[in-house]
Amino acid sequence: MNRRVAYAVAVAAVVLILGAVLSPGFASWPGLRAVLIVASFTGFVAAGQMLVVLVGGIDLSIPWVLNAAAIVLTTTGLGLADRLPLALALAVGAGLLAGLVNGLGVAWLGVPAVVMTLGMNGVLQGLTLGVSQGLTCGDCGHYAPQPLRDLFAGTVPAALLVWLGAALFVTVLLTLTTFGRRVYATGANPRAAYLSGVGVKGVTVALYTLSGGFAALAGIMLVGYGGQASLGLGDPYLFESIAAVVVGGVSILGGRGDYLGVVAGSLTLVAVTTVLRAQQVPEYGRLMIYGLVILAILFAYGRERAHD
Amino acid sequence: MTVVATGVGRAFGGVQALRDASFAARPGEIHALAGENGAGKSTLIKVLCGAIRADTGTVTVEGRIATAFQELSLLPDLTVAENLLLAAPPRGRLGLVRRGRLADEAALVLSRYGATGVDPRSPARDLAVSQKQVVELVRVLAMEPDVVFLDEPTAALAEREVDWLAGHMRRLRDAGACVIFTSHRWREIERLADRVTVFRNGTDVATRERLTEEEAITLMTGRTLGATYPDISGIVPGENALTVSGLTSGRLREVSFELRRGEILGVGGLAGQGQRDLFLTLFGAGKPTAGGLSAGGSRARAVRQPRDAIRAGIAYVPEDRKAEGLLLHLSIRDNVALATLARRSRAGFIRQRAEKAAVSGIAAKLDIGAGRSTAQAAGTLSGGNQQKAVMARWLLTDADVFLLYDVTRGVDAATKHDIYHLIADLARDGKAILFYSSETEEIAGLCHRVLVLREGRIVSELRGPVGDAETIVAASIREPADA
Amino acid sequence: MRDLQDRLGYLVLAATALAYFAVYTTSLGRPPGSFDYLAILNTTMPLVLVALGQSLVVLTGGIDLSVGGVVSLCVAITAATGGAPGWIVAVVLLGALCGLVNGLVVAYGRIAPILTTLATLSVYTGAALWVLPVPGGSIVPEVRAVLSNPNVPTGLGWLALAVAGWWVLRRTRFGLRVYAVGSDETAARAVGVPVERVKATVYALSGLCSAAAAVFYVATTTAGDANAGAPFILTSIASVVVGGVAFTGGRGSAMGAVAGAVALTLVIDVLFFAGIDPLYQSLFQGLFLVVAVLLGTGAALLARRRAA
Repeated sequence: MNRRVAYAVAVAAVVLILGAVLSPGFASWPGLRAVLIVASFTGFVAAGQMLVVLVGGIDLSIPWVLNAAAIVLTTTGLGLADRLPLALALAVGAGLLAGLVNGLGVAWLGVPAVVMTLGMNGVLQGLTLGVSQGLTCGDCGHYAPQPLRDLFAGTVPAALLVWLGAALFVTVLLTLTTFGRRVYATGANPRAAYLSGVGVKGVTVALYTLSGGFAALAGIMLVGYGGQASLGLGDPYLFESIAAVVVGGVSILGGRGDYLGVVAGSLTLVAVTTVLRAQQVPEYGRLMIYGLVILAILFAYGRERAHD
Repeated sequence: MTVVATGVGRAFGGVQALRDASFAARPGEIHALAGENGAGKSTLIKVLCGAIRADTGTVTVEGRIATAFQELSLLPDLTVAENLLLAAPPRGRLGLVRRGRLADEAALVLSRYGATGVDPRSPARDLAVSQKQVVELVRVLAMEPDVVFLDEPTAALAEREVDWLAGHMRRLRDAGACVIFTSHRWREIERLADRVTVFRNGTDVATRERLTEEEAITLMTGRTLGATYPDISGIVPGENALTVSGLTSGRLREVSFELRRGEILGVGGLAGQGQRDLFLTLFGAGKPTAGGLSAGGSRARAVRQPRDAIRAGIAYVPEDRKAEGLLLHLSIRDNVALATLARRSRAGFIRQRAEKAAVSGIAAKLDIGAGRSTAQAAGTLSGGNQQKAVMARWLLTDADVFLLYDVTRGVDAATKHDIYHLIADLARDGKAILFYSSETEEIAGLCHRVLVLREGRIVSELRGPVGDAETIVAASIREPADA
Repeated sequence: MRDLQDRLGYLVLAATALAYFAVYTTSLGRPPGSFDYLAILNTTMPLVLVALGQSLVVLTGGIDLSVGGVVSLCVAITAATGGAPGWIVAVVLLGALCGLVNGLVVAYGRIAPILTTLATLSVYTGAALWVLPVPGGSIVPEVRAVLSNPNVPTGLGWLALAVAGWWVLRRTRFGLRVYAVGSDETAARAVGVPVERVKATVYALSGLCSAAAAVFYVATTTAGDANAGAPFILTSIASVVVGGVAFTGGRGSAMGAVAGAVALTLVIDVLFFAGIDPLYQSLFQGLFLVVAVLLGTGAALLARRRAA
């Protein structure tokens, strides 16, 4: 395990312990469960963001890929349990498709990742708003099908198992497969990877596609959690996903980092917000402390890098 | 003494570039630094001019310093004029830069130093390599410095431009400046230098006023020339492994040749005559505009990218380990296994045990990192071991054709020796080898046959072990008979 | 063809302006009048200023996400204080200070620009919320009359000032150094460019531009909102991209970004007069962004092919 990941896990632990000391309810399972559930949403989007950051890219289309998937889900699911599989397939498919287009634009057309994904974000925002007529369309008011909402019930909500599954999937993909090796090679030195027979473009396309898929997954889970889709659902997750990735010890230059760190990063960010909220810190204070915490962690990593 | 360095040490990652190196130069002399690639000359110059800090030792330099770096310090997006006048642009009233005057002013500077044929309005990015070198040198000369460092100033220059530079170096010396330069060409050192300091393995081994080439080579390599190359006379080339016909790509013009199993075929010529394009195109990393190749005798499937080349049994070992070879912060194991991942996988999953065995096996065979764990980052290896790790990656592919492009660059003498023998062993095993080196000596000593490239064309083919570099150099600069 | 990429911003602006003229005339039966031009000028000024600052940062190879936070904070202060001249000076200085903090962290703390400014974005946005918890505030009528007078094109004077500012900057040694740093940081350092100082300065200037934009924003809308800056993050990046400034640094001009900003604002009017549902607005903005960049890369590709 690399040192940055160790730091990320340590920071998450410290914040959680601090929360337990400061607010009594925090240490209980219901308190922790709430943090874990909220962190899982960050965890899903950050999984996708991490995958593209690993090859030195970035995905700014996450907010509206997420939102579009959420709305596709509710408008096709119509709140009916038997339509859920179809709705899920369509929502995930929409996310994967958006990611695929991002990947093709970046890898084959040579559009800078910032531009391509920013453009995609705009396109999906316009499509989502336009087609749903600002969420006033006939099917837009439907609730999430019951099975999806049930994911969040129980002592150990199934939603957390979904996160565990996603974590296992990403970790196995990156550490045990030839694809994972190619991802790290591409991120570390794309030219050398290409000259060693790695299909750099193919790898890049696959990663952006996966990122779209994870954003869609986050959208689906958020709909299950909130019961309904809303506009602007994904907006907080753009910068949050990047923050979780870097707090999780992934190098923004690519080639370094793993999902365990990102899980820790997501927990850290959500725990900080939750603790501050429990302490009745007003929103402005939460935002400022949140930023300062990220900055402090970046400085800690920066010092570590100097010793490499 | 104007320039004094004592006991200087400096490491990059795991590579000790300088160790306990000392150097002194005085005003009014041209002082050459000689040594093999990776001997520490460039690092010493960077330490002396303050571009990087020494880990240990002391450095004093008196006077105005100007440095022409080997990896040119021109700013690609700025015009020639902006590059030349960055420090002191022409100003009008209010102290604002007169952008309209920049080009004229720069043209004046260029002509004052006798540099012709460079458009001051052109972005530096668009210049030919030799023009870039000239602009870099004019930038340095125009500072009228007391101490001048020139790192490989002639590498990209033609004969006429070398004369031009020599004139300026002498003028500066006669005016009392201290001129320190490095060069790969012994003739230039002999012609220009008042004194020579020889470097080997990161430290100075001698400073002399008179030094013959033989003595210099002995000092630089720590051995006498001749006995170092393996005997390849017993290896008899077999059937065809690679046929190249009419290949045109980049600088390359209609190149045709055949490479046979068990043959070490050298590619000679002056630097930048299309050698790099040849190697990259054969490996699928350059697009041919005409002609093509076939590997393994039969027309192999089109090689459009390196992946195809690897499948067709071709391996390419690059010169610049950091840019094209290694993934420095990934493990040695990741690096060595990279080109053959699919062979040790089941349904996309890596067979960890098989991989570990394969990598440890080849690492032990090549003696990479002296038994160090293959889980360590490749960047912690020394330069020689890094190159061996790249070689190991390609040995695992079990290719039929090895394209070796300047593989001994920046490698210590012991590793070079190992690599020569490794190449001979490959040939003995029936592999076909295409070999290029920036040190023509190596081509002369190691190859069955040498193709000499000039302006992208094969101008000469030298058969049988050539033995001495002079023959190849002569063929490189001789006008072709039909020209 | 190389020139085409450098002039991308102007070309895109010219094309958009032409489209605007055509669509306006066909839809209303008369060409746009001075009132329309004035409205465009006043609505576009804030983005023009933010894009100007952003382009300076991008020219050095960086990126400034905190423009959103700085604009929000400065909008909040301006609106909360009514924008008395003394306060305006203070706000502009504060903006520069916020930028300087970014610059110091990036240059001396050696933390990636995208991460530094992501963290300070949160801090500055928090500060804005603290100053102005609920939307509101006011602006002194005299200030409005001088900055964005709805009847007199005062904005033109300020636009000219911004252009002149760039013109002067481009002709200082600092201007040359900005390009030098963006072109090749290592080489710039080797020839004696004080890289850290240049970087710190461009971020400070970006902050200053954002503050000026905030004052204009309040003058135009006559009220403030602590989230007013958020949209500027992505639109300023889009302006810079459409303006032909290379993300790798060293190439392009702030004037291109200014042209890009005006073009992006005009596109909205074009869509409006073309009768396109405003809900689809971002869809076309996103496409516009990607297509503009594709045109730029296409031109560069053609140039390379011609050179070869």
